[in-house]
Formats: sequence, C-alpha cells, structure tokens
Amino acid sequence: MTTYAMVIDTRTCIGCGDCVVACKNENKVPAGLNRDWVVEATRGEYPNLETEFRSERCNHCGHATCVTNCPTGASHYWKDTNIVLVAAEKCTGCKACIAACPYDARLIMHPEGYVDKCTFCHHRVDRGLDPACVSTCPTRCMHFGILDDRDSIVSRLLRERRYKTLMPETGNDPHVYYLL
Amino acid sequence: MSDSRSGLFGFVLNGLGHMFRGGLLYWAWLALLLVLIVLGGWHYYLQLRDGLLVTNMSNQVSWGFYISNFTFLVGVAAAAVMLVVPAYIFNRKDIKDVVLMGDTMAIGAVAMAILFVVVDLGRPDRFWHLIPFIGRFNFPESMLAWDVIVLNGYLLLNFGISFYIVYNHYQGKEPNASRYFPWVLLAIFWAISIHTVTAFLYSANSARPYWHNALLAPRFIASAFASGPALMAIGLQIIRRVSDYPIRQSVIDHLALVAAIALQVTLFFVLAELFTDFYNEGEHAASARYLFFGLDGHTALTPWIWTAVLLLAVALLILMIHPLRTHPVYMNIAFVLTVVGVWIEKGMGLVIPAFVPTPIGEIYEYAPSATEIMVSLGIWAIGLLLFTLLAKAALPVQCSFLREKAHREVTHDDA
Repeated sequence: MTTYAMVIDTRTCIGCGDCVVACKNENKVPAGLNRDWVVEATRGEYPNLETEFRSERCNHCGHATCVTNCPTGASHYWKDTNIVLVAAEKCTGCKACIAACPYDARLIMHPEGYVDKCTFCHHRVDRGLDPACVSTCPTRCMHFGILDDRDSIVSRLLRERRYKTLMPETGNDPHVYYLL
Repeated sequence: MSDSRSGLFGFVLNGLGHMFRGGLLYWAWLALLLVLIVLGGWHYYLQLRDGLLVTNMSNQVSWGFYISNFTFLVGVAAAAVMLVVPAYIFNRKDIKDVVLMGDTMAIGAVAMAILFVVVDLGRPDRFWHLIPFIGRFNFPESMLAWDVIVLNGYLLLNFGISFYIVYNHYQGKEPNASRYFPWVLLAIFWAISIHTVTAFLYSANSARPYWHNALLAPRFIASAFASGPALMAIGLQIIRRVSDYPIRQSVIDHLALVAAIALQVTLFFVLAELFTDFYNEGEHAASARYLFFGLDGHTALTPWIWTAVLLLAVALLILMIHPLRTHPVYMNIAFVLTVVGVWIEKGMGLVIPAFVPTPIGEIYEYAPSATEIMVSLGIWAIGLLLFTLLAKAALPVQCSFLREKAHREVTHDDA
C-alpha cells in the first residue's frame, strides 16, 4: 500500500487560484464545476488578524467513507494506494458518496449525472509527475509525495513543521496536510 | 374445485376484472391518478434529458425532496407491522380481517420508496449495478446496498404473503398457517430492518453531525409508528365508506392508540435532541440551529419544522384525550395532522438540514423545484394507483370469503 500525500504551506500560499485553473485545464473540468478551490479563512481577533489561504480538494482519505458508502463500487481506491477514484461507467449518481464526504469534494456532472472528483492526477503520478496543481503553483507552496518514504519531501516537511489536517475527527484519515 | 376458474389464471383474470369495474367515482379517481402520473412522467422525461440540473439539488445539498419522500415512505411501509403483530401474534380477529389492507399499503409504500430512489439517481440507466449478482454490488460495506436488499425483500415478502392468503381465500380455503406464518414472522423483523437500515444510511456519515447520532434509528421507528397507522386508519375508513368490506371500529381505535403512543415517544425524542443540541450549544448543533432558528439569516426550513412541531403537538393532544381520540371527526383530524407533520419532520426536516451548513461551513439553501414537485406527485399517484388496484382486486375475494366463513360458522353453531 502506497500512501500519497499533499502538503500545502499556508504561509507561502498567496491564494492566486492557479491550482484551480491548472486542474480545470489538465482534467477538462466543465464550466461551473471545480475539483479544487481556494478557501480564505480569517484567524484571530481584531486587530490581530491573520489570513490563511488553503487550496482544498479531495483528501484521499486512508479510510474513505465515500468508498464504503458507494453501493456499486464505482468509488474505489486506485491500485494499492489511497488515491480515491470514481469509475464513471459504474456510477449511478445516487450521491451517497457526497453525503459521506466531509470535504464537499465531490460534484455531480450535468447532464451526464455521474459523480466526479479530484484524482490526485493519477495519470500524471503514474508517469512520475506531480499533480497539475502542484506543478503549477507559482510560490511552490504545494508538495506531493509518498508518505511512507521517509526521505520524500512530504515526510520531511511533516517532520519539520507544524501542520494540521481538516476534520480529522470524522475518522476519515485525510492525506492533505496544511503547514501552519 | 376442478373448475378452471379456480386456477391461478382464473384468479388473476378475476382480479383484473374487478380492477376495471366500478362506479363513476372510482373511474374519476383513476383518471385523476393517471393525469398526475402522465404529468409526473413528462417532468421526469425533462429531468432525464437535462440531468439533475432541473432539480434544485446542488453539489452541496445533494439529497432533496425525492429522498425526503423516500424516507417518509419507508416508515409508512414498515408500519404495516402494527396490524400484522396484533393479527398474527396476539390473534386479534377483528384485525386479522383487515391485515391484508396493511400489507397492500406496505406494497404501495415500498414501491413508491424505490421509485423515489430511482428518480434521484443521476444515471438511472445504471440502476442494474444495484442488483445483486448482476451488477457490481458493494455488499456488505455500503449501507445503500443493504437498503436495496431490505426494501426489495420487504416488497417481495408482503406481496408473497398477501398473494398466498388472497389466492387461498379465492379458492374458498382457509390458508395453511404453518406455511405462511414463518414468513409473517420474518416480515415483522424485516419491517424493523427497513427502518433501521435506512436510518443507518444517514447516521453512518460521521461528517454530518445532524445525522451522526444514535437516536436517529429509534426516532425513525417511533415517528413511523405514528404516521403509518394514521395513514392506514384513514385508508381503512375510506375503504369502509366505498365498499362493503367489514372493517370494525375497534381496528381504527387500535390504530389511533398506537399512533398516540408512538407520537408521545416521537416528541420525547425530539425534545431529547433539542436539549442535547441547545443546552450547551457547540458547533455540532449548527444544522439543528439552522433548522429550528435559522443560521446567519438563512431561514428557509424554519417555517417547515415549526409547522410540523405544531401539527404533531395538536395531533398528540387530540389523541391523548380519550373522548377526542374516539370521536369520529377529531380522530381523523389528528390522523391527518400526524401524517402531514411526520411527512415534514421525516422528510424536509431530516434530510435537508444535514447538508446545511456543509461540513466545510458554507450555507446553500434548498427548496424543491417545480420539476421535483411534479415528479413526486407522479410517484405518489403511482403508489395510490397500485394500492387502489390491488385493494380493488383483493376486496371482493376477501368479502365473499368472510361472508361464507361467517355463514359456515352460523350453520355450524345451529347444528
């Protein structure tokens, strides 16, 4: 089992949205829909305010409830990894996965009616490349790699820096990490 | 009984014959249902053509009016046990005479529930993936896969039991209890399972605190045992009005009592949830706050839920006061209030708020689109049509059997 992780540095992210554009280009995501998005969150109390930019997407959970919820197995793990994919031809559009997802990371395609999501660009990962959003990031605040490999950039960053994940309390074991 | 008309073919033919015989009122009723079905069908065609875009569901609120109706109807379907248990386990003769109507209602309700899931699918042409062995069926991991099994199983069980009993009555025989009783027992437990599995479908989602609590399944059962018997009591009284089927008042009173008790438990459960959510309000209560009081100025569901609470409270008051509960008018007012109240509470009040706010904190409100309402009306019409036709076919058989049986008993007593 290979665990891929994305590590995003909220200190160097400028919220430009290039990751969103890159994803739309790479994956031909139709107009009006996005597989990733940028959240602008405000922390602290006036006047000591701090803005945090977060590029968000599917967290490719180790225990993905969208995969267990799916009645047809259309939601599945890619090979022996934590990358969650939807096999469009098996998806009935029942939306049980959308109800299960803590990250709002899934979208219904119109008018086709199946569910779509971030794939961690597994077609690029297969060729040894980073996901399109990571490759595009102008401030290099996004990193991608194998978590089980101690020498990978993601393992090193998580060893050295403080970080958080989103909604770990759901028990989903998310794999998009935000450096603080 | 060598007469060919006593065979299976004759039985079906006889049933079909009864379905197409009736007065002006009967035909007007069928015509109304057919018009609604055609309208619903047309709107469903539009939805097939343009996709779920024509509904008001979104990526944020991904289940709406369809799944709300589905949830309510699962409850109604299972409430047939409130006739089955007293009829077969406690041998209440008056209830045994009408238990078949409970089964028939369950068949109509489950059929509607399944249809509501089908119209909610973005890709209904791939429905076959949800069929065990034929499609790719993610069993036992997926709760939805369990739901497919329990709902279809319940439909088959009810259909099988009713068919066996009516067929025997048609042949003038008393059905063999040792042959159908094990299936009745199974159906009783099965009825509880369709509630529980459907509730687990929601409560399994740890990302949605509004659903993710242990009270969901019990609350589900409690409210279903209020709305189901209420709906059944209304149906039985209509049947008594339009046919000569002997339905005793004691059956209606029994259903009213069941509804009263279930409603008390339901409202207690609602209070328990409200206390837990609001005594020391945390982030997990956001959906409940949105539902009952509105969140950041968004109040789309608030009128719905307070209407439901009011209706249920009045219904409970009527049902708890003995002279009112047995009064022919007030009793029926309480039944209607219960059905509408639970329909809101188990539908819009249970399904939608879990999506508002979304787990990442956004607020997207939802109200059904015209398409969703028309398609839903069409499905309700299909369910009512199914119930009407099945009841119309079975009632004459039941009537003549009960008459003959009464006659036999009288002559037996004379001898």
